Amino acid sequence: MRNYVIRRILQMIPVFIGILFILFFILEQAPGTPVSNMMHPKMTPEQKAELAQKLGLDIPWHERFVNYIKEAAQGNLGYSNTHKKPVTEVIGDYIGPTLLLSIVSLSISLILGIPAGIISATKQYTAIDNILTVVSFIGISLPSFFFGLILLKLFAVDVQLFPLFGLQDPLLMSNNPIDKFLDVAWHLVLPSIVLGLSSTASFMRYTRSSMLEVIKQDYIRTARAKGLKEKTVIYRHAFRNGIIPIITLLGFWIPSLLSGAVVTETIFALPGLGKISVEAAMNRNYPLILGINSLLTILTLIGALVADLLYAIADPRIRYD
Amino acid sequence: MKIRKLLSLLLAMVMVVVLFAGCKGQTQTPGPQGGSDNTEQPKGDQILRLGASSFDGVFNPIMSDNVYDAYITDIIFEKLIDNTPEGEYVPGIAEWTLSEDNLTYTFTLKDGIKFSDGSDLTTEDVAFTYMAIAHPDYNGPRAYAVNNLVGYEEYHSGKTDTFEGIQIIDEKTISFTFKEGTAAPANIESFDYGIMPKAYYEFENWEDFLELLDKPLGSGIMVLDSWEPKQYIKLLKNENYWDPENAAKIDGVLVSEVPEESILSALQTNQIDFGQIFANAENYQAALAMDNINVINYLGNGYTFMCFNTLRPTLSDVRVRQALMYALDREAFIDVQYGEGLASVGMAPISPSSWAFPDESELNPYSFDMEKAAQLMDEAGWLMESDGYRYKDGQKFSISWLVYTDSPWPGTLAGMAADTWKQLGVDLNIELMDFNTVAARTMDAEPGEKDFDIYTMGFSLSIDPDPTGALFDDNAFVAGGFNASGYKNEEAMELVRAGRAEFDTDKRAEIYKEWAKIMNEEIPHVIIAYRSEIWGVNKRVEGLEIDTYVKWNQSLKNVTLN
Repeated sequence: MRNYVIRRILQMIPVFIGILFILFFILEQAPGTPVSNMMHPKMTPEQKAELAQKLGLDIPWHERFVNYIKEAAQGNLGYSNTHKKPVTEVIGDYIGPTLLLSIVSLSISLILGIPAGIISATKQYTAIDNILTVVSFIGISLPSFFFGLILLKLFAVDVQLFPLFGLQDPLLMSNNPIDKFLDVAWHLVLPSIVLGLSSTASFMRYTRSSMLEVIKQDYIRTARAKGLKEKTVIYRHAFRNGIIPIITLLGFWIPSLLSGAVVTETIFALPGLGKISVEAAMNRNYPLILGINSLLTILTLIGALVADLLYAIADPRIRYD
Repeated sequence: MKIRKLLSLLLAMVMVVVLFAGCKGQTQTPGPQGGSDNTEQPKGDQILRLGASSFDGVFNPIMSDNVYDAYITDIIFEKLIDNTPEGEYVPGIAEWTLSEDNLTYTFTLKDGIKFSDGSDLTTEDVAFTYMAIAHPDYNGPRAYAVNNLVGYEEYHSGKTDTFEGIQIIDEKTISFTFKEGTAAPANIESFDYGIMPKAYYEFENWEDFLELLDKPLGSGIMVLDSWEPKQYIKLLKNENYWDPENAAKIDGVLVSEVPEESILSALQTNQIDFGQIFANAENYQAALAMDNINVINYLGNGYTFMCFNTLRPTLSDVRVRQALMYALDREAFIDVQYGEGLASVGMAPISPSSWAFPDESELNPYSFDMEKAAQLMDEAGWLMESDGYRYKDGQKFSISWLVYTDSPWPGTLAGMAADTWKQLGVDLNIELMDFNTVAARTMDAEPGEKDFDIYTMGFSLSIDPDPTGALFDDNAFVAGGFNASGYKNEEAMELVRAGRAEFDTDKRAEIYKEWAKIMNEEIPHVIIAYRSEIWGVNKRVEGLEIDTYVKWNQSLKNVTLN
């Protein structure tokens, strides 16, 4: 087991460098430079050229790539030109709110989606299954910008129950942590509903189909034949086997916790990594694009590993030796 | 039973995470200002709330590269000069005199100016600010403010430690000398940047200076209290402001990140006090219909333009360029894109608000006229063939237009052109891309590699109408220069040079009129439209002024809240 993990982690290094190489190559192909956006009517071409030189843009890209790897190995991911700060600090500024929003919405979707999937599977073709199926399809197909704007219109403009934008009220005059907690929670209600709803639906569909498969297995019939209670059959025997695909799904969900949700972040004016990734791409802010993507690459690789390891825990038949 | 346990565990986890995040709410440390140490918390209702988007958090007068950051910077720092709504430069924290040869500006600081930490603002600080822009490691966008001063190259290249053009005469007096031959009324605009305290910002390494970009310390009427990236910026009144008579009347300013789409709703629900509204007819009507806000509508200081690549055989003939303009219904475009009263047809590369703008009757608005367009095309030798396109020497009249999708108007205009130009016999190919790609293929490309026939973009102006270095400058036809058209005209350049160096405003206006007429005739760049900007301001706000030449922060000291 330990050897397996070490081997997998060592394998990640060349994969990571390969992905970075591809990223560098793609960025190099994109027209425009970080200086293209600096459109000061009074700036002279010489001044632009000097700025480009200070950003290291006159060095060939393959040399920049080698430098980047060397620096990154020492924890230096470069300097974000728009924020005039090291990339690590910029990512640090945004990672908290992104994680908060994605963990809350993921929890909502797990808490709602998995039980709904189980109910839907055990009561297949009943009215409750049909209702849940219809609701989940609505959840999957409703675009988040539309759903978000509708919620804002209804609950922030017409009935002013929730705030229209932001993650906290900066004018909140209390330093009491409970008040602050409630303030943030209040701001997060609508965005996490929007973000949680679509993934709730997909978790529900996955749970339903994998549970349906398990329920038809012989050992479930055996369990029932033994005279076990239906609850025990479903939640102890079927659920444990049915959850394996969900674990894979969760493993791959890890990077998306940090990739941010651009649309939801934009509509609700939440400070997240999704929005700054898009801005970085528009501004050709190479170090920031690379920094965010390196982070996501690492998380994707780790997510795959975690999913593999969790299999072994959920399913005693799987062993890594 | 097990599932219930799992549920409660998850719920507890969520709560802990949320609580944790809630607690670490105020992570950005406030700067070391004197103003924020008042223990009494200000009341929320005396804070002016702005809704805006896209600030980057660079609160520094020589480094900020973003209008929203500049608003904040201009409140925290004070400048040597200020300007009136009419566009006239007036003393800020200093009075100035100009030498006989128009090259040396001598500034005398007002008495008693102090930074918010209580230290005096002296000419040392002024010199420090300008020398930082000229520093060899400087990587911000303001080099143009100092590069015409005597001794810039020597200092910037690191050859000398002193900057000859900046002379401290005494604690209150400082002079700036421009190089021989660069005297221009527009030079005064070099002093439109906030003064930084030397003691606080002085650096060994440039990186040390960059560390302080989001911890500003200035002499302005407010100080930075706290900010969170992409969430808000909170400014509080500078309680130690050196000129109590002109101190802020309100307790602070809060800038919240509000997406453009939500500005109207936020105004309507009183969640912000003011904000800029995307200018189109629908938004304008909606804003006018709200009874809790006043709407401010003024002409933006800039224009949108279309650039013709005049080095292309298709577009080198001025008659062809004119024909294309006659065949483009800009009045209809303005109605569709902006709505009536929110934009007007562009004619000269000067803001209509400026004293330099010529009489409209002397300029050609290229009103929509298909017959005239066809006639001009015929004259230029591009003749209509049976397939509905024009040809000359067997070559089809085929052009491409680079349209960026970051903003909606270029797409609208190109779409309308595709229709009317087709009738004219033009084969138009619209290429959609992002802004940076357009810039890379047009202005930023080397002169021989500029890969376009037509592109469109917006251009913003300063108060002084001097067009040196801009779209119509022959010398700007280089990689990274603003003139991508390839059009050169020595006569026009004479006028540009004469206009730049002339100190008599009436004579200057005459010169720019002549120049504008040439450009209106030759149209290597066409000015498409002058656009209005709209702001919604809650009725509880009084004293706020926003206009072509003045930003809201310039009247902040007069603002009161009911």
